[in-house]
Amino acid sequence: MKKKLVSLMVITTMMATMLAGCGSSAGTGETSEPEAVVNVEDEATAESAKPSDGIPEVTVWHYFEHEADALNKVADEYNASQDKIKVTCTFVSREELMNQYTIGAVSGELPDIGMVDSPDMSSYIALGVFEDITDELNAWGELDNFYEGPLSSCKDADGRIYGLPNNSNCLALLCNMDILSAHGYDAPPTTWDEFYEIAKACTDSADSVYGFAMSAISNEEGTFQLIPWIYSAGASVADLGSAEAVHAVDFLGKLVDEGIMSKEVINWGQGDALNAFAAGKAAMLESGTWQISQIDSGDVTLSTDNYKFALLPKDKKNASVIGGENFGVCSGTQYRDECIDFLKYMMTAQHNADWCEIAGKLAVRSDAATLKDFWTADERYAVFNDSMNYAVARGPHPEWPTISEALYTAEQSVLIGESDAATAMKAAAEKVAPILEANPIAQ
Amino acid sequence: MKNKRQRQQALEGYAFILPGVIYILVILGYPLVYNVILSLKNTNVKNFAKGTSAFIGMQNYSNLFKDPTFLLVFKNTFIFTIACLIVQFSLGFLFAILFSKDFRIAGPIRGLVLVGYMMPMSVTAMLGKNMFGVSEGVINDLLLKIGLVSSPVEWLVSSKTALGAVIAVNCWVGIPFNMLLLTAGLTNISQDILDSASVDGARPFQRFWYITLPLMKSSILAVLMLGFIYTFKAFDLMFIMTSGGPLNSTDVLGTYAYNLSFTKYEFSQGSAAALVLFVCLFVVGLFYLKLITREDD
Repeated sequence: MKKKLVSLMVITTMMATMLAGCGSSAGTGETSEPEAVVNVEDEATAESAKPSDGIPEVTVWHYFEHEADALNKVADEYNASQDKIKVTCTFVSREELMNQYTIGAVSGELPDIGMVDSPDMSSYIALGVFEDITDELNAWGELDNFYEGPLSSCKDADGRIYGLPNNSNCLALLCNMDILSAHGYDAPPTTWDEFYEIAKACTDSADSVYGFAMSAISNEEGTFQLIPWIYSAGASVADLGSAEAVHAVDFLGKLVDEGIMSKEVINWGQGDALNAFAAGKAAMLESGTWQISQIDSGDVTLSTDNYKFALLPKDKKNASVIGGENFGVCSGTQYRDECIDFLKYMMTAQHNADWCEIAGKLAVRSDAATLKDFWTADERYAVFNDSMNYAVARGPHPEWPTISEALYTAEQSVLIGESDAATAMKAAAEKVAPILEANPIAQ
Repeated sequence: MKNKRQRQQALEGYAFILPGVIYILVILGYPLVYNVILSLKNTNVKNFAKGTSAFIGMQNYSNLFKDPTFLLVFKNTFIFTIACLIVQFSLGFLFAILFSKDFRIAGPIRGLVLVGYMMPMSVTAMLGKNMFGVSEGVINDLLLKIGLVSSPVEWLVSSKTALGAVIAVNCWVGIPFNMLLLTAGLTNISQDILDSASVDGARPFQRFWYITLPLMKSSILAVLMLGFIYTFKAFDLMFIMTSGGPLNSTDVLGTYAYNLSFTKYEFSQGSAAALVLFVCLFVVGLFYLKLITREDD
């Protein structure tokens, strides 16, 4: 009997360890940098305030990679400018960071300041990860200089503000002009019709060269890349069942059906799509602002230097989508005021402009955009700068991940030919409608 | 007097197991109980911070079993596990027998086979993703060259073939694992018994069926149970290779529960799904326990 009991305990232990392991391995499986995880744990246990030189330490968690130098520079300058706190920036891989916020919402183990992808902010606000800093930011008197789109992602449904946007990006069309001109096209397409014509002409199935590449993976990246098509057709997230939305997804489905776009895009993240373009396997790519600096820094080597950015082609209207990161002060920090002070310092017009220049991003303040000319002087950035005028925000909505899932699922089922666009979009609309009815997107 | 000593001894005994008991209660018992409680509430992103979540009984479980996606995921998990177990075990056993023979390159080859098992699962998954690529993948390339298929197979982009591809990659890791454990079982069988059977006229198959297999029973059971647990809780492989797609065709309980809790913040629903996973494994564990205790008795 006793033996049975012991064996039972052993087995329970084994199972529970497996179950626990299932959760914790989640991030580590995905992250490309395992050290990051260790880092998180170190930071979490040493949470806040380990005085070094008598100055309390304030931790900032971020998932910037090539942009990290720019962030560290601001932190160093801030540290030199005052002696109340010492700001330390810690890299945590994106997937792991998200998990840590969710876990931190329960355990309370959060950094002092946290970075978050803008469409996710709303969920974390709802989970109580970030402090309401509306009053302090209003007293600052500079909020009017921030662009409305990025700033709105830091607000909850009542308009309270939980952080500041740090940078913006959006999507545009990247064309391999060697391939285009080889087929007699000297300029990137501007309309869907032209786009279709060029993409079709540039497709060379014998050589596995596709006319177009994008990401349609089953996560937020897939949704991010789908949204411009839906808005360009004249639809929005609120009317996914409309003829316009169906037309948009049907159009993408047609690209796959006719072999103009690889069916493998359903497993491609934006990096995978860029790699396909870089290898000369796609004539055109739905590309993001951050990819310019990836190209410039040599992270990605393009098969040609003869490339050109252009606005995404339009159906009824021009459209793009806003991406970017926000920083918020995390709940429970002992240094709330100091953290807010750092956020304000980091986000002055001058610092925002400096930061964006180093990191290769778009500014979130209108008065920062006038301080530098690289956004207009470099014609690649100028395209994205222009594209921002047509870019829509995702949400903000606390249940955005569920809306997002409905979107990419519908797109995938059309791309792999499991259902037609009308059926797929009707299913998506049915999932999204009750969510938006209960809690409309605050704009 | 004797009684007192006995009690003292018992007390000492309990003192020795106390750290273990505390460990189990704190590290394993608490999360498990917390998970059970969470699965009976309606905690999600909307009510988490407000603290307005309420007990809703078995609602999450009935939601799960009414959800066609969950039923698909449940089915996927069992297909994945059973298919992997069959392939891994039979090939693993075959390799174990083969490489337990004394021939010159048995050792090096056994070492090479282990590479699959030693590789981190994330690396294996990335490799699998590339190898099963439609136009650039080496597997399609091979199949086309041999002439087994006339056009590339849409491995990971079709909901009909994706699970098969994931199973194949998992078997690549599972076969050496099975081989390793079964080799240990094989080496425990005394050569004398087999030799004496030969002398008595037993043919190779008879020796295998009537001697090797029965003596391997406990190793086989252990391998099958561990294999079941490892396979049933699979996560990283799907997460990296397919993100559970296309259209949930490679979604298993592990990825499904993770997505509910960490992507959609449906904490209670996610806990319920995780508990279903736990219960399945627990039942297998009990079954195993029953088998080995019967053997001991």
